[in-house]
Amino acid sequence: MILLEERNRILEETFRERFNRTDEPEKLFLTIHDFDGVSYSVETKDSKSVLFFSMSMKCYPELRAYGADHVLYREYGSLFQQTPEPGFEVTLRIDETQLGGVDKEALIKKLALLKRNALAAPFEAAFQAQSEGQQTNIMTVNYREREAIYIMGFPDRVTVIFSTQFKEETDQIFGKVFLQEFVDARRQPAIQNAPQVLYSPREPPLELRGLRLSDAENVGYVTFVLFPRHFTPGPIREETISRIQLFRDYLHYHIKASKAYMHSRMRARVESFLKVLNRAKPEKPDDQKEKKTFG
Amino acid sequence: MSNTLRPYLTAVRATLTAAMCLENFSSQVVERHNKPEIEAQTTKESLLTPVVISRNENEKVLIEPSINSLRISIKIKQADDLERVLAHMFTRFLMMRAENFVILRRKAIQGYDISFLITNFHTEAMFKHKLVDFIIQFMEEVDKEISEMKLSINARARIVAESYLSQFS
Amino acid sequence: MNTKTVVIDNGTGYTKMGYAGNNDPQFIIPTVIATRDGPGGTQTSGAGGQSKQASSNIASKRGIEDMDFYIGDEAMANSLTYGVNYPVRHGQVENWDHMEKFHQACIYQYLRCEPEDHYFLLTEPPLNAPENREYTAEIFFESFGIKGLYIGVQAVLALAASWTSKREQTLTGTVIDSGDGVTHVIPVAEGYVIGSSIKHIPIAGRDITYFVQQLLRERENSIPPEESMEVAKRIKEMYSYVCPRIDKEFAKYDAEPLKWFKKCEFLHSVTKKPYTVDVGFERFLGPEIFFNPEIASSDFLTPLPEVVDQVIQSCPIDTRRGLYKNIVLSGGSTMFKDFNRRLERDIQKLTSARLEMSALSAHTSLGQNVTQKEIEVNVVQHKRQRYAVWFGGSLLADTAEFYSYCHTKAQYEEYGPSIARYNKVFGSVL
Repeated sequence: MILLEERNRILEETFRERFNRTDEPEKLFLTIHDFDGVSYSVETKDSKSVLFFSMSMKCYPELRAYGADHVLYREYGSLFQQTPEPGFEVTLRIDETQLGGVDKEALIKKLALLKRNALAAPFEAAFQAQSEGQQTNIMTVNYREREAIYIMGFPDRVTVIFSTQFKEETDQIFGKVFLQEFVDARRQPAIQNAPQVLYSPREPPLELRGLRLSDAENVGYVTFVLFPRHFTPGPIREETISRIQLFRDYLHYHIKASKAYMHSRMRARVESFLKVLNRAKPEKPDDQKEKKTFG
Repeated sequence: MSNTLRPYLTAVRATLTAAMCLENFSSQVVERHNKPEIEAQTTKESLLTPVVISRNENEKVLIEPSINSLRISIKIKQADDLERVLAHMFTRFLMMRAENFVILRRKAIQGYDISFLITNFHTEAMFKHKLVDFIIQFMEEVDKEISEMKLSINARARIVAESYLSQFS
Repeated sequence: MNTKTVVIDNGTGYTKMGYAGNNDPQFIIPTVIATRDGPGGTQTSGAGGQSKQASSNIASKRGIEDMDFYIGDEAMANSLTYGVNYPVRHGQVENWDHMEKFHQACIYQYLRCEPEDHYFLLTEPPLNAPENREYTAEIFFESFGIKGLYIGVQAVLALAASWTSKREQTLTGTVIDSGDGVTHVIPVAEGYVIGSSIKHIPIAGRDITYFVQQLLRERENSIPPEESMEVAKRIKEMYSYVCPRIDKEFAKYDAEPLKWFKKCEFLHSVTKKPYTVDVGFERFLGPEIFFNPEIASSDFLTPLPEVVDQVIQSCPIDTRRGLYKNIVLSGGSTMFKDFNRRLERDIQKLTSARLEMSALSAHTSLGQNVTQKEIEVNVVQHKRQRYAVWFGGSLLADTAEFYSYCHTKAQYEEYGPSIARYNKVFGSVL
């Protein structure tokens, strides 16, 4: 599997099982995680047929400033609760008895995309600004402890900058090789129309100079330049938002997959070395095999 | 560059064959003990002159003989960061499996990437010329493996980037 | 510490995985991986892009073929175009390449967590070689860069799963772990497995299904032959129970057939035609092979209660009462109704008989009247039996002390993989 999925499987399967059951609902208490330190809780409280689906996302206050509440209200309507549960940033309240006329499959799929929808707000704002010929301020989303996404809308384009930080030197060096290829990929005729990618190890790019960001050894900045054709309103825009959010996870996934691949190469090598080494051991002829006698 | 490979390996092979003349030698310091002298370094007379064979400053082999044991340390060619990291991963992987390798040392000597320890017991149980063959083949294969790993990382990176970006077109 | 630990239990048949703090695993998938190259074969270059997904067309390009694989149910679904491999045999990992890929897919595709942010709890069978723990640690710390790792013995986790607030929380007991392939009886004292006393019984879920299938074949002819295994499995899971005595049970069935024989409707998987099956004696004869193996085959003849008794008798004498007192069941094949009652009764009979014998011989040879304390036999059944090992892991990983028991990444970097050889037992003094 090369591309990461955008939906959360556990959520999808949990909701599908709940909504399609024909017998009495049971109590539910589920706490799970997603990428980037996001955690979800799905639980029943006083009533067994009312689910409280909450998400904890540290950067949500920043997203709220970029209009995330509106986006979630738009997507989930009356399910979206104004006050989230304690300890969480977003809560949806789903009454299973009220699901009569609703398209259950569509709702299930939408619920599994909660994180994606929350994170979509600044992107939508930037795209909107670009279509109006405006320029936005830098929108910062500190989605991970030491890494952030910076989104800016310009009259002719939208730039999305990821600050990456690798904890391991191995990851960092692999990461450099991968990111360099992202930059060079547009030379291929098949993907000439893809977004332009720029990579700057250590130095923050021009647009972010004002923010006084780190330029430590293990920090890098990856810039995606999106042109209007990449976010025409409709399915293309939605796809782009989903894809771009998963960039960092995608990169790390492949770095780890490469390390796993290296391991399997090395295992094969060790096997072949051992074979050669075993050739150095002579076959013991039968009469020289040890036979102990006790007398 | 590659025309120095053959003489380099021939020199290593000749030195190894000469150094691999090992005989049993009980410890002269502790009664009834039998240790590889090159590791214990207790009896100075049993240690023979170490030899360094360098292809260039980045690739060399240190051979330290003694009367009953022989230590071979190899510094692998690492041209850039990626090769350095790959060599490090590979040697760590091998050294964890040192028990299966019998003649491999669990830690490399300071300044080198990987070390072998061959004792007289090994040479009694295995053919000497085959052991030498193994070491030489090892040296060649390690270099080959590291460059193949590097190529495969580059190929993977290209495909990963292509797969991601082609989603947008 | 607000990130939950990830708990993964790799069994020979199924892998159970999820986050700690939950009662059930989030995913239960077969431990199977489908790769482009056949089982055990060498890689073929340029695998033909016959599969429909675009990503695998790219994967067939040189350089990234290894990413073209499926695990679990998806692997079985693709079994015609891919080669199916079972990386875990008899509880032990046989193919580390496949295992590494399997875990990679578990983490990124199913659980969706960034391994660098989490601690992991994995399980291992008893008598696992220490090198296997090292290899596991190597994969998780080097490839995935996890924060910390704890490898727990499956039997000990099953004991932890049986803790309830009513009873004393102890890590001494006998674990009867019965899955699909084999049943193990494992004595554990103070959290340490008494390895030399472990016994394996070659009777498990698969054998019961097979036996039920045989019985059905003799009597029913409405079942299409290609479906008979599936039908037998469904009947086993839905209608089986353990009876106190076979002869009485047969009499009950003969006296009131309408009450005991059940009709079950099935749908043919391909033609979708419905057909009904009468379910009768198989209901109690299936699980009976644990207690009377001779009815199914003549290979293995020792009944389960006897094996348990032998196991406990082979343990150090001071542990025995504790082992009898806390016999814990785990695994899907122990979930039959009244399994615990029958087992308890049969083991109690054996211990009482032995006590009587020794009292009798003490009386006749020494002329003494010996009063002996009865041996308390308790077979514990609880709601989480099916995934007891996973649940035990989830419980333990949710405690505050767990993080101090794990091997952290820093320790791995400093000391190397050999730290994984020893995993601290919960609640022990050392």
